[in-house]
Amino acid sequence: MIYFDNAATTRNKPKEVLEAFNYYVAEIGTSPGRGSYSLGIQASRMLYQSRKTVAKFFGITNPENVVFTKNSTEGINLFFNGYLKSGDHVLISPYEHNAVLRPLHNLKIKGVIDYTVLPDEAIYDAAHHFEKYIRPNTSLIAITLASNLTGQIVFNNGISQIANKYHIKMFVDASQGAGKKLLNMQRDGIDVLAFTGHKDLMALPGVGGVCSQDALNITPLIQGGTGIYGDEFTNPQAYPEAYEAGTLNMPAIWSLKTAIEIIEKNIESNAKYETRLLEVLLDGLQKDPNIVLYETDKLRVPVICFNVQGVSSSDVVAYLDKQGICVRGGIHCAILAHMQIGTVRTGAVRVSLNAYNTLEEVEKFIRIIGDIKNVFGIL
Amino acid sequence: MYLVFYKTNDVFVAEEKLQEYNVETEIVPTPVQDKAYCGVCVKILANKEVVLSVLDGMDYKIIE
Repeated sequence: MIYFDNAATTRNKPKEVLEAFNYYVAEIGTSPGRGSYSLGIQASRMLYQSRKTVAKFFGITNPENVVFTKNSTEGINLFFNGYLKSGDHVLISPYEHNAVLRPLHNLKIKGVIDYTVLPDEAIYDAAHHFEKYIRPNTSLIAITLASNLTGQIVFNNGISQIANKYHIKMFVDASQGAGKKLLNMQRDGIDVLAFTGHKDLMALPGVGGVCSQDALNITPLIQGGTGIYGDEFTNPQAYPEAYEAGTLNMPAIWSLKTAIEIIEKNIESNAKYETRLLEVLLDGLQKDPNIVLYETDKLRVPVICFNVQGVSSSDVVAYLDKQGICVRGGIHCAILAHMQIGTVRTGAVRVSLNAYNTLEEVEKFIRIIGDIKNVFGIL
Repeated sequence: MYLVFYKTNDVFVAEEKLQEYNVETEIVPTPVQDKAYCGVCVKILANKEVVLSVLDGMDYKIIE
């Protein structure tokens, strides 16, 4: 089986990540902040160490400003619902995942905020085309690090420079690309960032979070047990715990800490290897006249999307599945991105690679997709 | 002497800082008081002045 759906979830994890998860479950097995016996204390200590690792990785100085959630969607909802106030205006890219679009649209239909989807030129030539979209009430710019559909890198420093100039909060959805270590929040002028563990950060599913340069100072998304100030009737004013009501997924958090350490070790060799796989893939597909590729001129993470002329994207996915190849079709929870590239009605086929894939797999994929015209009778 | 913090995170920040200065520490349940703070605190036997110096800028209270 060839797994090319790493943008959904990375399936193969480093063995150290699985070992870390197993260690936590078997040897610790308790929840941080929920017990003052030795094992409970050790769980809290490991949570603190995990916050430190995540903070360092994303380039923030205070581990307290790492809030763990179950995924990036929850983190994004936490931040948007807590930060945005009545009358605010938000600017977003045309490549945002529904995890960004839907919380904003929900606030819009409730009459709380308004948002504008920026055109491509404002994203890729921000110095000349961005400022005209800023309104007096623009309080947030939310940009995905990389498109989960096309793989193109969307966030760039041109945007954050304008955000910082106008004192507008700069938010990055790093769900795609976080594990490629493409950014540093301090260096790149990012105020708040959301991440998820199970994609290219290579952790197990069930952990994500929000990082911020300064304390968030927002209303928590959910109320409940925090392990501290148990005598108070609402979440205490103690952070990050107040944003993390309920039991954390500590085994996944510990797997994330280990995964980040492994990424740090292999970042250069993995990037080089993935670039090579991507080059071979794009080269092979570009030679096929039946293949339509999208947004290939942009810098990217190892994700591409395409269609085969005369064959529906769902049929391509089904055909590849029969050949033992996992790719994703449909809309990819990214309706804005499909609108941008003109594939709302057709969908598209996404191939997402990582360092666990091989050159042989890519070459086999190109051969099999090359045969599709015979299977579907394309002239 | 117990160092009682308002956030669990700070307990472990303090533990790290004190250990860097070779101050022997133990994380223990917070002694019951008039208010429930963080569930665990730092117990130490060191001189109070050392602690004040190492943890300068942190938010905590001391229970002798």
